[in-house]
Amino acid sequence: MEINIPKSSTVFSALLRADFTTQWRNRRSAVLALLIPVIILISWKGIIVKYGGAFVLSSSIALGLVAIGLMGYTNSVARDRDKGIFQRLRVAPIPSWAIMISRLTVQLTMILIVTICVFITGYYVDGIHLSAVGYLLTVISALVGGAVYLSLGQMIVGLIKNPETVNSTTRLVYFVFIITGMIGGLGFLGDIAQKLARWSPYGTVQTMLAGSLQPDLWHNETTMALLVTLGYTLFFAFMGIKKFKWNTR
Amino acid sequence: MNNHEQILNVEGLNVYYGTTHAVQNVSFDVKRGEIFGLLGPNGAGKTSTLSAIEGLLNYHSGSISVAGHNNKAKPLHAKAALGVQLQSTSFQPELTILEILQLYAGIYGLSLRKEELMGKLQDIKLADAANKKFGQLSGGQQQRVSLVIATIHTPQLVLLDEPTTGLDPQSRRQLWERIEGIREKGHGVLLTTHSMEEAQSVCDRIGIIDHGKVIEVNTPEALIEKHKDEPEVIRVSRKGRITLEDVFIALTGTEIRS
Ligand SMILES: Nc1ncnc2c1ncn2[C@@H]1O[C@H](COP(=O)(O)OP(=O)(O)OP(=O)(O)O)[C@@H](O)[C@H]1O
Ligand SMILES: [Mg+2]
Repeated sequence: MEINIPKSSTVFSALLRADFTTQWRNRRSAVLALLIPVIILISWKGIIVKYGGAFVLSSSIALGLVAIGLMGYTNSVARDRDKGIFQRLRVAPIPSWAIMISRLTVQLTMILIVTICVFITGYYVDGIHLSAVGYLLTVISALVGGAVYLSLGQMIVGLIKNPETVNSTTRLVYFVFIITGMIGGLGFLGDIAQKLARWSPYGTVQTMLAGSLQPDLWHNETTMALLVTLGYTLFFAFMGIKKFKWNTR
Repeated sequence: MNNHEQILNVEGLNVYYGTTHAVQNVSFDVKRGEIFGLLGPNGAGKTSTLSAIEGLLNYHSGSISVAGHNNKAKPLHAKAALGVQLQSTSFQPELTILEILQLYAGIYGLSLRKEELMGKLQDIKLADAANKKFGQLSGGQQQRVSLVIATIHTPQLVLLDEPTTGLDPQSRRQLWERIEGIREKGHGVLLTTHSMEEAQSVCDRIGIIDHGKVIEVNTPEALIEKHKDEPEVIRVSRKGRITLEDVFIALTGTEIRS
């Protein structure tokens, strides 16, 4: 008897449909990833004069990206793995990576939505206007930056099995990134701390985003930040994929 | 042995969890048009054997082929020929039953219309539950949903891990009829159950597994016939007539497993 392996297009559209529906049903928690950057934008309105629109926009996008990668992706993977949802999917004739690609697609869409919301708020509330190139570059940087936190999340679920522990770890890392952002940008703790913060996975993304917002001001350090960001992504993704187990037993 | 007759062939299978040797040199086959029951006490290695066939765990040695496809060399072909009901299944809690069905139809390569999916739910009398979440169903209803999904693509081999656990007598009857329907189509069924009565009445052949080893493979009648005069079987038998359960207990011991 002939055996037909399902067509990739049928498989992917089924997975995507299910994952987008899941995301939609969880929209209340997704809104948080959206609200935080917008709130930052509105409440930091006063410091735009001092630090510039690019700094404020890039900081709020960066924090939105962290929230999506760590809270959105990581926690849901940890939960579904613990419940055995992946095991059921994996007995179907689909390559395992297809399951993850579908989930990542949903998160990349979320990144686009957050970035656009930040643009709109920045435009109307803070009066931050960018060039067309600036908007385009920022969207690309947001996707590249988002990939760091998605892969960082992958590393966390690769190293930690228990979903509760994953949850508290992602919260902790998120908090650390917020602090890092303040130190790096505002320079509370002196030069060395500021330098460390700048080259952390939070700082490089923020630098890269700020450079994209104002393409005329893109300099060597921005290019370095982009390369370091890619380096972090590769390292986290390598660890996260290598250590990942599909079940928790 | 005519390979064309076999839908599943397991040869010298070994599964380890760390140092636990959970499946030890297990060999058996399931033929087309056959219902094969894998029976064994808790922890005997039934689920581990099924997991190796399903491609969920990387077995240490041995070979498994499903519909002629080695499941390590051609995992997608092997999986496409398989329908699976896991011992404990869960689906995304955000999705409705209809959406879950739609998802699984899709990943098995079917594009079914909504009416066709509803028809599948009607077959198991759960059309009313189409918009409920999986977690809102009773245990037996959940079991029925996962069974429908296991057979949604009319697979050549269906693996069922304790399919009747939690089902009421009506659903159990219906399940056996469905399983016999699969057999009539010339497809194979490999199932595990703790109900010896069921195994005796429905399975064409039975493999008894204990401590990771297959100790007997035969038809239920032949197993009873072979062991019915052994003193241990007669000692444990509670009714006048020797049943498969008596043979099973005599072969695997009366002790409860940890
Ligand atoms: N992921 C795992 N890690 C370690 N040991 C395991 C794992 N899964 C199963 N085992 C062990 O392997 C042995 C076989 O387990 P298995 O689940 O295959 O038994 P079973 O025959 O299906 O039992 P039951 O009737 O209770 O479902 C048991 O001793 C069990 O403790
Ligand atoms: Mg089991």
